[in-house]
Amino acid sequence: MARKFSRRSFLHNALAGGAAAGTANLTIMKDLYAQSSGPIVIGHHCELTGVFASWGYWHDKSARVAVDLINKQGGIAGRKVELATEDTESNPATGARKLRNLIQRSNAEFIIGSVHSGIMLSSLPIATELKTIYFSTGESSDVTGSKGTRYSFRTGADTYSIAASGVPWAYENLGKKWTMLFADYAWGQSTAAESKLIVEKLGGKVLASIPVPLDTKDFVPYLAQIPADTEVLLPAFIGPLAVAFYTQARSMGFDKKNIKMFSQSPSIEAISPQDIEGAAEGSYFFETFPRMLQAKDDAFHREHNKMVEVDDIHARETTSKRVMDKSHSWQAWEDLFAIKQAVETSGYKDRKDVEGVIQALEGMQMKNSLGHPQGDKLIRKEDHCGIIDCYISRVENGQLVVKKKIPKEELVKFMPVRFNLSTMPA
Amino acid sequence: MTMSLMMIRRAMLIAFIAALIAVPWVVPALINKFWVSVIAEIMIWSLFAASVNLLFGYVGLLSFGQALYFGFGMYGVAIGISTFGLSFWPAFGLGIVASVAIALVAGIFAVRLTWHYFAIITVVFSLIFYFFAVSVKSVTGGDDGINFTLPPTFSFGGYTASFSNETFQYFFIFAAVAFCFFLMHRVIQSPLGKAFVAIRDNDTRAELIGLNVYQLRLIAFVMSGFLAGVSGALFAFFGRYASASYMFYHVSGEAVVWAIVGGAGTLLGPVVGTTLFIVIREVVSTHWEHHSLIVGVMAILVVILAPTGLVGLWNEWLARWSAREKVPATRTSLQSEP
Repeated sequence: MARKFSRRSFLHNALAGGAAAGTANLTIMKDLYAQSSGPIVIGHHCELTGVFASWGYWHDKSARVAVDLINKQGGIAGRKVELATEDTESNPATGARKLRNLIQRSNAEFIIGSVHSGIMLSSLPIATELKTIYFSTGESSDVTGSKGTRYSFRTGADTYSIAASGVPWAYENLGKKWTMLFADYAWGQSTAAESKLIVEKLGGKVLASIPVPLDTKDFVPYLAQIPADTEVLLPAFIGPLAVAFYTQARSMGFDKKNIKMFSQSPSIEAISPQDIEGAAEGSYFFETFPRMLQAKDDAFHREHNKMVEVDDIHARETTSKRVMDKSHSWQAWEDLFAIKQAVETSGYKDRKDVEGVIQALEGMQMKNSLGHPQGDKLIRKEDHCGIIDCYISRVENGQLVVKKKIPKEELVKFMPVRFNLSTMPA
Repeated sequence: MTMSLMMIRRAMLIAFIAALIAVPWVVPALINKFWVSVIAEIMIWSLFAASVNLLFGYVGLLSFGQALYFGFGMYGVAIGISTFGLSFWPAFGLGIVASVAIALVAGIFAVRLTWHYFAIITVVFSLIFYFFAVSVKSVTGGDDGINFTLPPTFSFGGYTASFSNETFQYFFIFAAVAFCFFLMHRVIQSPLGKAFVAIRDNDTRAELIGLNVYQLRLIAFVMSGFLAGVSGALFAFFGRYASASYMFYHVSGEAVVWAIVGGAGTLLGPVVGTTLFIVIREVVSTHWEHHSLIVGVMAILVVILAPTGLVGLWNEWLARWSAREKVPATRTSLQSEP
C-alpha cells in the first residue's frame, strides 16, 4: 500500500532529516579535525605483480618492516603510521590509476614510489597536481630531471648519478672503448645515454649503442653487432632479459674474449650469480647497497639484514630462495625515515603544510643509522637527487665482491646540477 | 492507469542524467572524492565501448581493433601538446582527426570482410600500429609513454578553466560523452541507422533493396573510429598521459566484453557493462590482484544466462511487465461496459 504524506508527517520527516544532516555534518567535521592528529597515511606505489614483481616483493617487505619499526619508535611526530599499498601491476597505465587511488581514496599524504621508469613518468603529473610528495625508487633521471617537479624526490641514485660515480672508475680500470647494449625502454636508454656522455667527456669512445627490444628471446643478432675492438661492454637489462643476456653471451664465448663487462645493479637485482651457473662470473656491477655485509660492516646494516630476513653474503631470504634487490629496496625503507625526519623538522600537521616538508627535504642530510642503513646521505636541494656512497663489485665465485667504494664526495665531481626543481612552485 | 514503456524509460533516463550531474557534490559527501574520478573514467570507457557497440550491435561487425583509434586519439593529444606545443582545443581536434583518418584507412580494407575475417583484420591492423608505436620511441615514448602538462581548456580574462579543477574535468567529460551518445542516438534513429540495422539483420536482403552495403559499413566504421578517438583524446587529458600499451588488442577485447555484457544493440548497454566491470575492478583490485578472474566468470555467466546483455534482459522484463499490466486493465474496461 502506498504511503501518503500529510502536512504533519512531512514536517515530522523534514525535522528528522534536518537533525540527521546536522549530526552527519558534525561527524564529517570531526573526521576532518581528526586527520591532523590521527594516523598519518603513507602510500606505497609498488610492483607486486608483473615484470618487476621479484623486486616489488622486497619493496613491500622493506616498507612494512620499516613502518613497524617507526611505529615502535613512537610513529611520526607522535602519530601512528599506516601504510596503504597498491599494486601497479608493473604497468604505467595501471600505475597512474592506482596513484589516484592511494591519494584520493586511501588519503595517502606521501608516496613511496614505483621502481618502474614508465610508471614514475605517468604518475608524476598526477602526484604534482594532487600536491603529494612522490619518492621515486627507480633510476630514470627524467623524474628528478627534465620532467621533475617540486614534488619529485629520491634518496637513491638515478642513471645520471650512477654514470657519474661508476663510469669514471670503469674508464680508468677497465678500458676506453665502450659499447652500450641496452633494453630499449626508458631506463635502458637513459643508462646508455648518461654513460656515453661521461665516457666521451673523459676522452673515451663509444663504438656502438645497440638497443634491444624488451621482448627479445635471442640475443645472437645483437651480440654479433658488438665491434671487435670493444674494451668495455655495458649491458643494461633487467630480470629474465638480464639472465638471457649473460647466459647467451657466455655461450658465445664472451667470457673468453678480452671484453670487460660493466653493468648497473638492476641487471643483477633479485638474481644470485650462484643461480645462473657462472654466466655473470667476472662481470663488474655498480651497487648502491653492497650485497655482502663485509663491504659496509656496521651494526645498522647488520640489523637491517636481520629485520628483512636476508643473509649477509648473497642477500637471500633466510626463509626462501628469493634474492633481495638490495640496491633498490633500501629506498622503500629509508624513504619512510626521510619523510619522518622532514615531517618532524617542518612541523607538518596536514596537507596544507606540504610545502614545509618539501623545504625540509631540499638539502636534507641523513645520518648512517638504522633508519638509513645504506649510509650517510644528502638530498641535493636543486635536483632532489640522493647523493650517496656507491660501490663497484665483481662477481667472484658466485659472490658480489666489492672492489671499490666511491664516496659521495667523489660522485658529485661528475654530477653538476642540470635542473633546479627547488625554484618551481609548490 | 499504467505508465507506458516510453514514459518509464524517459523517467529513468532523466533520473540517470540528474544523478550524473549531482556526482561531484553527492559522491564526495557520501563516499569519497576518488569515486568522482572513477565515474569520469567510467564515462570515457563507456564511450569507447559504445564504439564497439555501434559496429557490433547495429551493423553486425565485431571489431577487436578499436584500441587503435583510441590510441590515435590519445597520441594526437599527447604529441600535439608535448611535441607541437598545441593548446587544448587544437590538440583535442588533432586526436579526433587522427583517429578518424586512420579509421578511414583501415575501414577501406576491413569492411570488405565480415564475421571472423573482419575480426582478424581489425586485430592485425591494431597489432601493426601497436608494434609501430612501441618501436618509434622518440615520437611515442613506447611502453613508457608520454606525459604532458595540461594546457587550460578556456581562458577568459583572468579566469582559467582546466582539467586540474576536478569538477570542471568531470563536467567536461560528461558533456563530451553525453554529446557523443546523443549523436549516436540520432544516427540510430535516422534512416542511416535503420540501414545499419538492415545490414546487421540480413546484408544480402539489404543489398537487394538497393543499399550500398560496403559504403554503409565504411560509414559506420569511421563513425565508431570517431567515438573511440574522442574517448582516447579525453582519456589522454584525464590521465595527462599517452602510452602504446593502450593500443594493444586486449584493450579492444575489454570493450567488446563491456558492450556484450551490458547489451550490444542497446544505446546504454555499454554504459552498464563498463560501469559493472570498472566498479568490480576498483573494489576488488585493492584487496585481490587477480580481480580479472571475477570479470571472466561474470562475462561467461552473462553471455550464457542473458545473451542480450543486462540491458537486453531489463528491456525484456520491462516489456513483459508492461504487457501484464495492460491485459488486466483491458479486461476491466471490457467488463465495465454495459
